[in-house]
Amino acid sequence: MAPKSMPNGTAEAPIEVVSAYAPVVGITFGNSFASIAVLTKEGLAECIANEDGERQIACAVAFQGEEMYIGNQAKHQLVKNSQNTITGFRNLLGKKFSEIPKDKATNSAPIIQHPSIPDEPAYTVKILQPAPAPLPATARTATNTPAASVVATPRSEPIPAERTFTVSEVTTIFLKSLLQSAENFLGKKVDGAVISVPAWFNNTQKDALSKAAEDAGVKVLQLLDEAGAVAVAISNQSTGLAPDRTQLIVDLGSSSLELSLLSLRQGLAYLLASSSDPTVGGDQIDAKLIKFFAKEFAKKTKTPLTVAPATDAQDKRAEAKLLLAVEHTKRTLSASPGAATCSVESLKDGLDFTGSINRMRFDLEVRAVYNQVYDKVKKLVEGAGLDLYDVDEIVYVGGSACLPGLDETLAQGFPETIFTPFTAGTIVGGGVGDPTTILARGCALQAQLLASLGDEDIEVKKAFESRSERLDVKATSKTIGVLFPEENASEGLGGQWIAMLLKETPVPSRRTVGFEVDLGESDSKKVAFEIWEVKEGIKVEKIKPPKIDLDEGEEEEEEEDIEVKEKTIEKEAVLGSILMDAHAAVKENGRWKTKLELQFVVNLNGGVDVGVWEAEKASNKVFVSLSAP
Amino acid sequence: MANVLQLPVVPTSLLQGWTPPTASKKSVSPLVERKLLPAGPAYLAHVRRQVHNLSFEDIDKHAEEERLRLEALNGNGVNGEDDLGVGDEEESEELLIQDPKEWKKQDHYAVLGLSHLRYKATPEQIKIAHRKKVLKHHPDKKAGISVTHSTNDDAFFKCIQKANEVLTNPERRRQFDSVDPYYGALEEDVPSASDFKPAKGKDGKEKDIDPKRFFDEFGPVFEREARFSKKTPVPMLGVFEDGKEKVEGFYDFWYNFDSWRSFEYLDKEINEGSDNRDDKRYTEKKNKSERARRKKEDTARLRTLVDLTLSVDPRIKRIKQEEKDAREAKKKTKGGVPANQKAKLEDEKKKAEEEAKQKEEEEKIARAEAKKAKAAAANAAKKARRQERAAQENDAAS
Repeated sequence: MAPKSMPNGTAEAPIEVVSAYAPVVGITFGNSFASIAVLTKEGLAECIANEDGERQIACAVAFQGEEMYIGNQAKHQLVKNSQNTITGFRNLLGKKFSEIPKDKATNSAPIIQHPSIPDEPAYTVKILQPAPAPLPATARTATNTPAASVVATPRSEPIPAERTFTVSEVTTIFLKSLLQSAENFLGKKVDGAVISVPAWFNNTQKDALSKAAEDAGVKVLQLLDEAGAVAVAISNQSTGLAPDRTQLIVDLGSSSLELSLLSLRQGLAYLLASSSDPTVGGDQIDAKLIKFFAKEFAKKTKTPLTVAPATDAQDKRAEAKLLLAVEHTKRTLSASPGAATCSVESLKDGLDFTGSINRMRFDLEVRAVYNQVYDKVKKLVEGAGLDLYDVDEIVYVGGSACLPGLDETLAQGFPETIFTPFTAGTIVGGGVGDPTTILARGCALQAQLLASLGDEDIEVKKAFESRSERLDVKATSKTIGVLFPEENASEGLGGQWIAMLLKETPVPSRRTVGFEVDLGESDSKKVAFEIWEVKEGIKVEKIKPPKIDLDEGEEEEEEEDIEVKEKTIEKEAVLGSILMDAHAAVKENGRWKTKLELQFVVNLNGGVDVGVWEAEKASNKVFVSLSAP
Repeated sequence: MANVLQLPVVPTSLLQGWTPPTASKKSVSPLVERKLLPAGPAYLAHVRRQVHNLSFEDIDKHAEEERLRLEALNGNGVNGEDDLGVGDEEESEELLIQDPKEWKKQDHYAVLGLSHLRYKATPEQIKIAHRKKVLKHHPDKKAGISVTHSTNDDAFFKCIQKANEVLTNPERRRQFDSVDPYYGALEEDVPSASDFKPAKGKDGKEKDIDPKRFFDEFGPVFEREARFSKKTPVPMLGVFEDGKEKVEGFYDFWYNFDSWRSFEYLDKEINEGSDNRDDKRYTEKKNKSERARRKKEDTARLRTLVDLTLSVDPRIKRIKQEEKDAREAKKKTKGGVPANQKAKLEDEKKKAEEEAKQKEEEEKIARAEAKKAKAAAANAAKKARRQERAAQENDAAS
């Protein structure tokens, strides 16, 4: 049946789909790149692309003529218009001019002392002011032609001018563009945002950032530590990992390396240690890579080219061009194991360049950077009084952390069971472990959480502020668990060990586990276990590597001992024991079995209530309390 | 209850001669100071617990409520609208990989996730189910999800479209419902006569069929068959206590069952490619006869089913018994003799009969004797007469 024709304008407007999620966004604002994430209808956080189709938006603002470029377009201005291109402004937020080291060479607009505000860093750029509007037609003569005016006719072409921006103003401009992109994507006004900040940001820097954001029209819900954003993004996914674990976050951005060691206890996270190193980063990788390509270019074309650092003006331009091109090369390398190309038109002296590099060669070139990261990781973990074997999971953050070579280098020190996004295969194709978007997604989820609080009492909301007293928490210092004594367990602890409360667990907390118990053949059906406090350690054994028969004549190599590490548990103190009768036991193959549920509740003062009951018959309960320290 | 972490370990039995150790330490080790990261739902729960002074149980309850609220907001239907009970059915691997070319063999209801409703699904429900499935399986949504099976990605979508096409057209839906594979399998194991062969008891007597079993077995069968009826409402099997009228009405209806069931769906496809008109006509003719045969078979099947039901229906036996009893009761009330005096009465009757017999015999004898006497008397009279005559003659002669 053909539909009846309707006059235009009578059709009802489609019903607007109301999302259950508030229009909030997560923004990561790094020194070199930023990204935005929103919540999809399904409640998943998703990193969105801006108008240029970029998910990683370069933190750059460039001025040319009357135009202002923001993001990746601005980065291209570094080639010919570097003096009017502002980059790397995030790290200068909240800093005084005197605090900024001046020795660092830059290929963008230089930082200067603000002409009017004392001790304030600023940038000066040359712009063209748009031509003033022509004079309004005013009086008319008798013959209806414009009368002569006393005011001089304004210029019809734009006027060259100079403008000075403070760091805060540049940040505002940039954040405004991010907000615009998010609003264009969502189709409605953004209600609020969570912005990530590095762990080393102090309160002045945080204040400066939130002020710049407020100026840009962003309602800042929270300034979230990057480690916190990772914790949110990770805890939102099911990885099959234990809810209590130690997590290492390796953030290899383009301008710095930030490491954090987290204690994750059922989603509650706190930093065990963190470090930041601005000398290691993607820029170092870029430098190594462009050096490699410059060498190749020189070899191919017999045109000398020295980059990183470049001195000649022409070389500088070639360097900028190469830097833009290797971005693509790096992405190709992290995505596929094959060779990646780098092509630049008119690199120097009008000569084009096309070169390729495979992953092996690339890893060889940047091995030094990888090793630096590994050393830093080792130092950090040791500084926290732990061993690499105590780390259960590695999370990578930042574009450079996508490189598989980094994971391979780090893997040598960690146990084989370690969980990384590379082993899980979630690094590519928008997987959950994607290092480039993980921060933004974590921020978006956090924003959603804060927005969902609605008008709940202020006290809860206040707890999310960075200076809240609620952040101070007490944590257990020793692992507590239960030991089921077994007959023929001569080595180790002498039975089946179940760790219930790991050390570094914030109080108050509760852990419940369920498991099956074999009660043996006798009909007494008794369950007994001891509650122990234990010390965990790492046993390092040196074993001689198996001898390989070398062919005669070959030089006998110096054989090194291989270190074999093993986690150990040492009993320290027994805190109590429980003996109970099983009522709901079932006979299976001649042996009695029952399911037990064991619960540990730590109170605020550190006292532990241990409860155990049968899963099938919860009334059969036994309780023991361990007194607080 | 809070989430219980299930551990794979199985600790073994109590150690022989285990004695509870004495605590070597009075309390747990002292706590250390840390600074939390204010992030994630876990931190929120932690703060709430502190601010409102809640126990872990309260937090569990709160989390559950929140989950339900979110579910109600998002999970239920499209845009939170009522989905008329369509729900979300799990899609088995088998279902997802079927070939759209074999659409005649596919279970359209299962494809649309309506296998819990089947012929009961309303057109609205079908519409909603179709929309749900399309939203989930549209090829546009699959683009870029995986590179591995890009070639056959829209196969299931085609199946969905085919299912929708069949189920939204009333005629085609009726045809499909007629041969619904789900019920086809059920029709196979309808209780047979042998299932209800009356079992022989120990005493050699036939035992009665358990009414409960009868209704359990046949009830669903008739509920299923009822969907084919042109006339509605269809009387159902009912219960054991049903009266005669109801039971008779039931059998009456089912013996005159008017079914819309048809078998066009199973037709062999006419070879469209062939130009040969005879070919087409031949196939058409074949299909037609096949349909008729199937229909006949189906009618016969139903007839056998009703026959069987009637033959094993415990109600019929009950009703017969009741009728008989009623008749006799009626008769007895007419005679006015209590049943227990019957024997006595019979005895008396016998006696009376015997007496009458005896009497008769006696009478007979008496009659015979009387006859004899009579005859003797007649003889004597004759003799006397003869003697008289002779004497007269003698007198005359003399």
